[in-house]
Amino acid sequence: MVVNVLTKRLFRSFITARGQFLAISAVIMVGVTVYISMTATCYNMTKSADRFYHEYSFADYYFHVVKAPQGILRQIEAIPGVIKATGRIQKDVTVIRENGERATARLTSFPLPVENEVNRPYLLSGSLFKEDARESKAQVLLDPKYAQANNLSKGGTVTVIAQGREISLDVIGTATSPEFIYAVKDAASFVPDSKNFGIFMITNNLAEEILDLSGQVNQVIIKLAPGADEKRISELIKDILQPYGILASYPRKDQFSAAILNGELEQLQTAAVYFSSIFLGIAALIELVMLGRMVKIQRLQIGTMKAIGYSNFQIMLHYTEYALAIGLAGLLLGILPGMLFASSMSKLYASYFSLPEIISGVNIQAIFNSIILSLGVSAAAGLAASRGVLGVRPAESMRPVSPGKAGKVFLEKWALVWEKIDLSWKMCLRSVNRNRFRTAVTVLGVMFATGLLVLALFMNDTYNYMLKTFFSRDQLYDYFVRFDAPVKETELLAISRLDAVTRAEPVLEVPVKIKFGSLSQEEVIMGMLPGAKLKKIWDSSGRPLPVDGEGLLISESTARKLGVKKGDRVQAETLLGMGPLRIATLKVAGINSQFVGGVSYTTLEQLNSILEEKGVVSGAMLKVAPGGSTDFEKSLSGMNRISSIASRSKELQGLKSNLGYMFVFVFIMVVFAVILGFAIVYNASVISFAERKREMASLRVIGYRVNEVSGLLLKENLLQTVLGVLIGLPFGRLMSETYIYSAMKDEAYAVYSFQIVIYPLTYLISAASGVLFIAIAYWLAVKNIIRLDLVEVLKARD
Amino acid sequence: MGGKEIINLTGVTKTYIMGEVTVEALKETSLLIYEGELMVILGPSGSGKSTLLNIIGGMDSPTLGEVYFFGENLSRAGEKQLTRYRREEVGFVFQFFNLIPDLTVKENVELAAHLVAKPLSAKEVLEEVGMAERMDHFPSQLSGGEQQRVAIARAVVKNPRLLICDEPTGSLDYLTGRLILSLLSKINRELGSTVIIVTHNASICAMAHRVARMSSGMIVELIENTAPVSPERIEW
Repeated sequence: MVVNVLTKRLFRSFITARGQFLAISAVIMVGVTVYISMTATCYNMTKSADRFYHEYSFADYYFHVVKAPQGILRQIEAIPGVIKATGRIQKDVTVIRENGERATARLTSFPLPVENEVNRPYLLSGSLFKEDARESKAQVLLDPKYAQANNLSKGGTVTVIAQGREISLDVIGTATSPEFIYAVKDAASFVPDSKNFGIFMITNNLAEEILDLSGQVNQVIIKLAPGADEKRISELIKDILQPYGILASYPRKDQFSAAILNGELEQLQTAAVYFSSIFLGIAALIELVMLGRMVKIQRLQIGTMKAIGYSNFQIMLHYTEYALAIGLAGLLLGILPGMLFASSMSKLYASYFSLPEIISGVNIQAIFNSIILSLGVSAAAGLAASRGVLGVRPAESMRPVSPGKAGKVFLEKWALVWEKIDLSWKMCLRSVNRNRFRTAVTVLGVMFATGLLVLALFMNDTYNYMLKTFFSRDQLYDYFVRFDAPVKETELLAISRLDAVTRAEPVLEVPVKIKFGSLSQEEVIMGMLPGAKLKKIWDSSGRPLPVDGEGLLISESTARKLGVKKGDRVQAETLLGMGPLRIATLKVAGINSQFVGGVSYTTLEQLNSILEEKGVVSGAMLKVAPGGSTDFEKSLSGMNRISSIASRSKELQGLKSNLGYMFVFVFIMVVFAVILGFAIVYNASVISFAERKREMASLRVIGYRVNEVSGLLLKENLLQTVLGVLIGLPFGRLMSETYIYSAMKDEAYAVYSFQIVIYPLTYLISAASGVLFIAIAYWLAVKNIIRLDLVEVLKARD
Repeated sequence: MGGKEIINLTGVTKTYIMGEVTVEALKETSLLIYEGELMVILGPSGSGKSTLLNIIGGMDSPTLGEVYFFGENLSRAGEKQLTRYRREEVGFVFQFFNLIPDLTVKENVELAAHLVAKPLSAKEVLEEVGMAERMDHFPSQLSGGEQQRVAIARAVVKNPRLLICDEPTGSLDYLTGRLILSLLSKINRELGSTVIIVTHNASICAMAHRVARMSSGMIVELIENTAPVSPERIEW
């Protein structure tokens, strides 16, 4: 086949301008990589979760009751549209480890055989429950993360405290289930704490026995027929369950694990579109600048082509092919890393969320979309840039070009200022002014590169700040000890009298449903002593909120959800799961701002009076003498009524270990931002050099030194880059804010109240990278100026 | 001529290696140029006249032979020394003017003036070339002849001892070209600068004190013009 002459010309031009070609391709590559990896990960995760949900019959609706007889299941199943109703018992109990340490187990029971039930367990290791329970009475399946964190496997035993009795359970394996993909204790948990919280799966029979709930269930989960009216059916079921004390009811989308996973995937998809558009958009703009210039300087060649009979369309197509080739190169370079990243990201996500099977492989749709995106954007840029071809008339193009049109810049209006400006700065300002579009593209590119750096680094800053503030300003206790049920305050004496304990403050935590108007939100009210010293509460502007009087210091996330303001009256309904239900109306005395969690505060006395009790506590915050931790922990090991011991140092350690996960992300973002910044400054520098070659040569000939001439280019780069960095820094903050607010809008993240914190060091690093871009561009310019053939350039006609 | 030797070329050869071909652009050329003279180097394209000019102007170094500027050996000079030489001693005028588009007429001249310790006044030089009234214009607002006048002002403002003009009328029409030549002649007379004009236009020879005719990399004829005519009387 005869290769088209124009195509040959195309290939030769690529070799001459390979630097620019590669730089733009690299930006497109990043765009494609980001798009494919994130979209494919999202797709893999969604598909895997959907399949898991479907095959293991994930419940469509949840109902929590105080307790109800198993017989009601048949009543519920009789409702048209309900395919299956499974009854079970779920309760958080204390685990005692061999060394006496505590953990929390969420006992979750399954009726046997599990085959046709809702939320079936997926066996990961060992074996499922044996139906002949007489053989091994106390069998337990553990969630894989708890098993791993605690080094437990089949054949091991775990000890829980149920109804005040120590019960030993035989580990028969590990399993997960659609509802435990993301297993955390409650919405207030910052991150999963697998060491101290686990899902313990047992049979219904065993649960009934050890929790003294013979013939009873405390949760009903149902599966609906496709297309069934969820709302209507849930109302009917609530009617049936009403006499048994409904504590909560929610559809699958509000189930914590499903909501978190869904929120995370939605965010990922948004990020895929957001970040790939940045990269592809900027690549298109650089293509536009590069090709626009190419058309301009190849006027004579275009005129010649037209003179010998090529049509406008053919020539435009020729220039558009440049852009397409750049797009294609970027696409080809981006697909493979995109797929590789997708595979490792999917694995990372799968282990973060316990998804047993990940659908992986090539995501044709993501690849197809990225082809359309990268080539489409390039073609558009190519066509737009080659419009200039239309204006070239053969005869005219043969005449020499007049010097580039310069114009006065606005500063020249102030003669006094303008006169003081050095000639080289005048040149640079006018050149920038003359090439406004190109300058704008460079500034925009540097702005995004800097902004992305800020965005990448800010996560770290915010996380660090939150940790630091949380542990040095808000949470001042060394230990938080909780009992398995409310006790009389006098029982605390056993703890507060311990040698190591220097201060003990009693607390009472009561789970409630807060109602305001037609909205309601579940959360915990914590009662503290007025003037408590071990826990401080603040409003969103950082003013301390004292706990006194009868008012409620409602949590910011709940206030936001319910639309509650200071001074409003809300209703609190207790959700203790035992004792009578209490309802109280409380005046909102303030809105407390915590980084994580929906906890509202009031005085211990007020909370007691809601429960119609006196002097009841559920735990204590403790300060321990320096060096007394080991003794203290040892002395607690014998106390059976303690359900959990939260240690500040261990919590801090656990949270910090989560940082590693973030570093990978930050690193990749930084690399991408640097590619973008480099590509944009490199291209600007190459184009500016090519355009001013003749100027540079003239200056060299009349006696300017290499450094003096390169200084001109440096100034122009400096001006654009500094401008880009200066706008990029606040822009980065804006992007960070947008990111956080869009994340917080998500239902699943509503428990977080992030504060955007960017340390000066982050700005400094981001700005320094701008300087790095300038340095590289300057170095390239100097290299070119040294090589400049003065005679050649000055002899040649443009 | 009675002036001192400003340039002394002895046995200068310049060979270029272009791909696989070696081109001998100058062959053992010797030439003396005297202070204050106006010399025309004449020849068709490819005769080596531009190569000669580049070597005299310190833009290129000879492959063999010696070049002296007032006794200073330029043939072995490094880039730094050549830059200093161009900066302080030489003024250039090009065929395509090569003004800086982002600077006004006055700023273009000042750009060169900044390079030397004792420049002439930019304003006066512009008055001299008849461009004082257009001082604040940009090159894009000027005609070719006007651009060349500014280029001459830019070359002259450094008050160089050597003014080198490479086809100064090459892109201009006849009348404008003649005006430019008058200007160069005036500079030679009034400022006493040594002026070297490279051209392929034989008519220009009439205004020179001496003419070096070149062909195939060699000076084939050195003509002394006892009665140079004023450029206004030249026709082509």
